[in-house]
Amino acid sequence: MTETPVFVQLVALAPLVALVGSLVNGLFGRGLREPASGVVASAAVGVGFVLSLVGFVAYPAGAEGYRYVVWEFLRAGGLSVDVAFLVDQLSLVMCLVITGVGFLIHVYSIGYMRGDPGHARYFSQLNLFVAAMLVLVLADSLPLMFVGWEGVGVCSFLLIGFWYEQRANADAARKAFIVNRVGDVGFLIAMFLTFKAFGTLELSAVNAAAPAFAYGAPVLTAIGLLLLLAAAGKSAQLPLQLWLPDAMAGPTPVSALIHAATMVTAGVYLIARTGAVFAQAPAAAATVAWVGALTALVAAVAAFAQTDIKRVLAYSTISQVGFMVAAVGAGAYWAGIFHVVTHACFKALLFLGAGSVIHALGGEQDLRRMGGLGRRMRVTGTTSLIATLAIAGVPLLSGFFSKDAILSGTLTSSLLDGYGAGLLFALLLLTAVLTAAYMFRWYYLVFAGDERLTAEAKAHVHESPAVMTTPLVALAVGSVLAGYLGVQAFIGRNLIAEWLAPVTAAVEFRHLSLGAEWALVVASALAAAAGLGAGYWLYHVDKGRTAKRLEPTPVAALARSGMGFDAAAQAVLVRPGESVAAGLAALDREVVDGGLAATVSGVPLLARLVTLWQTGYVRLYALAMLAGAAVVAAVALFAGVLR
Amino acid sequence: MSVPSEYFVALSAVLFGLGAVGVVTRRSAILVFLSIELMLNAANLAIVAYARQWAATGGPHALQGQGAVFIVLAVAAAEVAVGLGILVAIFRYRVTTDVDELAEVRA
Amino acid sequence: MIGFLIVAALAVAGGALVITARQPVHAALGLVGTLLSVAVAYVMLDAHFLAAIQVIVYAGAVMVLFLFVIMLLNVEQQRPAARWPWLRWAAYASGLVGAVAVAATALSERRPAPDPAAVAAVLQGGSAERVGTVLFSEYLLAFHLVAVLLLTGVVAAVSLVQRAGEQPGGEAVAAFEEEPTVRASEPA
Repeated sequence: MTETPVFVQLVALAPLVALVGSLVNGLFGRGLREPASGVVASAAVGVGFVLSLVGFVAYPAGAEGYRYVVWEFLRAGGLSVDVAFLVDQLSLVMCLVITGVGFLIHVYSIGYMRGDPGHARYFSQLNLFVAAMLVLVLADSLPLMFVGWEGVGVCSFLLIGFWYEQRANADAARKAFIVNRVGDVGFLIAMFLTFKAFGTLELSAVNAAAPAFAYGAPVLTAIGLLLLLAAAGKSAQLPLQLWLPDAMAGPTPVSALIHAATMVTAGVYLIARTGAVFAQAPAAAATVAWVGALTALVAAVAAFAQTDIKRVLAYSTISQVGFMVAAVGAGAYWAGIFHVVTHACFKALLFLGAGSVIHALGGEQDLRRMGGLGRRMRVTGTTSLIATLAIAGVPLLSGFFSKDAILSGTLTSSLLDGYGAGLLFALLLLTAVLTAAYMFRWYYLVFAGDERLTAEAKAHVHESPAVMTTPLVALAVGSVLAGYLGVQAFIGRNLIAEWLAPVTAAVEFRHLSLGAEWALVVASALAAAAGLGAGYWLYHVDKGRTAKRLEPTPVAALARSGMGFDAAAQAVLVRPGESVAAGLAALDREVVDGGLAATVSGVPLLARLVTLWQTGYVRLYALAMLAGAAVVAAVALFAGVLR
Repeated sequence: MSVPSEYFVALSAVLFGLGAVGVVTRRSAILVFLSIELMLNAANLAIVAYARQWAATGGPHALQGQGAVFIVLAVAAAEVAVGLGILVAIFRYRVTTDVDELAEVRA
Repeated sequence: MIGFLIVAALAVAGGALVITARQPVHAALGLVGTLLSVAVAYVMLDAHFLAAIQVIVYAGAVMVLFLFVIMLLNVEQQRPAARWPWLRWAAYASGLVGAVAVAATALSERRPAPDPAAVAAVLQGGSAERVGTVLFSEYLLAFHLVAVLLLTGVVAAVSLVQRAGEQPGGEAVAAFEEEPTVRASEPA
């Protein structure tokens, strides 16, 4: 076996560096003064970015991935699990996104978390998250990926509930963790099935062996559906999307990093990584695509009715991740990953902009008490506008290219044959329109139009410091330029698809005529325009009157409450679960503790019985000895002699 | 015709049983002592009987049994001396030798 | 055989007297009878020296000591009332079971009656010379330790009955003083 190249080892170092940063802040953080903890953390992630960049530059084009075994962990029977990293095109892209956007968010956090007494704990947990996420994307085997999977879940829990003194925050963190756990069950069972079917848990081996199975084999479909369950939990897809809106209880940079750019894309990565399995199981792939599309639509509708600046973005994330999931479900893996990259840029930017606004207004998060902030906060306003246009899919910005890629992928995929690809496409197109509309609403209510600020907010408002606005600008540049990585093949060179081709499963896509391709592009652009136009009319021209009239309607109420999923989960899962827990608690109290108490009270009773023996009367003792000896003699007689 | 050794052992068992019953039943410490002496004698008798049996089956060291009885006899005598001394000492302070009254080690 | 039966009857009668007599002196005399019967049994078992020792030491010295103490303490008559009425019957039952079990075990292992000639050849009548040989060869250590034990017993008995402050030499000795431990040196 050839020696592992240096750049592969360097890339594999990145999670370790982040972990070290986490430990430094975790162990010594209390002594560190304010900027130091943030600088250490940002440096750790920055080093990780440099390492990923080195790996990216040094990576030979067309290579099929390098396996770097760090430690042979487990060999038991037929099962061998190594701590091994797989450095290939897909993992490098994810590493760059994680460390790049992560670095910017860490720098932003230095300013955002200034004055917070738990800043060292924050940076320690944030670094730990980056380390776990890197392990997730660099893992070569399902168990190692699961380690990263669980790690990001734990860090998400810690960071959502960062201000744990408030009950609501702790509850949101707990909700996130429990819903994630449901997905984790899917991951575990998928691992068991994978081992049973493939005899190995290494991803490269699984992907190589998948085409040997029959097309549509039931075991592959089962594995695919279970992986979908896992992805749904982590990426907040139907029906496990409940936790993401509540997760906005955490600090805004956390929402930006974890719930916009990285953790929620872990599910997309998982499906892309195991693409060979899905490519052979069209039923599972189609289910994935439909789940993604429906989630996108439902979340987009819900986003319209939200009044919290971050909750709109939360539902927007669910919706956009739905797009990505639909893409990888259709087999257009490069399109899904492409959207991961662009979405990371503009969604993180949107969240950080929201954080900037919240920071400037001294904690205000209600959209109804904002407005006109673009005039007072120039940088934040401009960058947020760029991000809004990007997510809406305005041509020439990044979102346009990635969304168009997804739309064309779902329409032309052979995997979705017979599963209603046309309807899927229509749903996604409709969602694109809605996306543009609700994002316009968001932007308008915050940054444009009349000022509805409270008096103290008005006195407070100021543009954020440079440490917060610089990452905004950097992300804005990314939102603009990232799109050019995935220019459609008929227009120019599709860099990202070419880059990812050697490591993603090959799926047949029907070739569209040039006219059809251009028609699609125009349709995407029109969708964006329609959405923005509708938003413009509703809120600028009509001054929100129609919107206000629609507010009390049941549809709007449903949308406000997240399309009834929370209520459904409450009735179906939470209440029965609570009664089971209450029953078990009663069992524990009565039976276990009661039995224990009975034993405890029984001991003095037993002792009293025994002390009756201790009379001090020699004759009784002598009698006891005599009786015992007589018994022994009798037993000896009967057992030994009179056999 | 010699008496078989087992008969002597059976006699020894009966005497031992009698002595044991006496230990449990009697209330005066002196009488308990007497019963103990009875038990010791029963044991000695058993040893001598088995020594004779051993001699009969050809063991050249059968006399060791009789030597052991000698030792036991001496020990029993010493024990009686000390025991009665204790009894006298107790009597001097308690004026009673009833074992039921002398139940100091009580729970 | 007749001899054995007579000896056995006398011994058991003496034992019964020990455990049932109301007067302590009667009990002591019953034990004397048992001891003498056992001495006769020793003679029947070719242990003549032991029989002599049994009479001299046990019946002669130990029982006399017992009688002295009985008279000294003026042990009162046994009161018939017992603290636990069931004790008596439990003791009888246990004793009966135990004795029967052991006796039956012994009697069930039938062995050929011992040949007097062979016994005599080994034991040589259990004479003083033979027993002495055993004591001074195989049981030498035990013999010496018994000597020490007897000395210890004497000292203990004397110190036990001394009243405090009456020790000749002026040292006050408490009634329950510990016996002085004397270590015997190993004979070469």
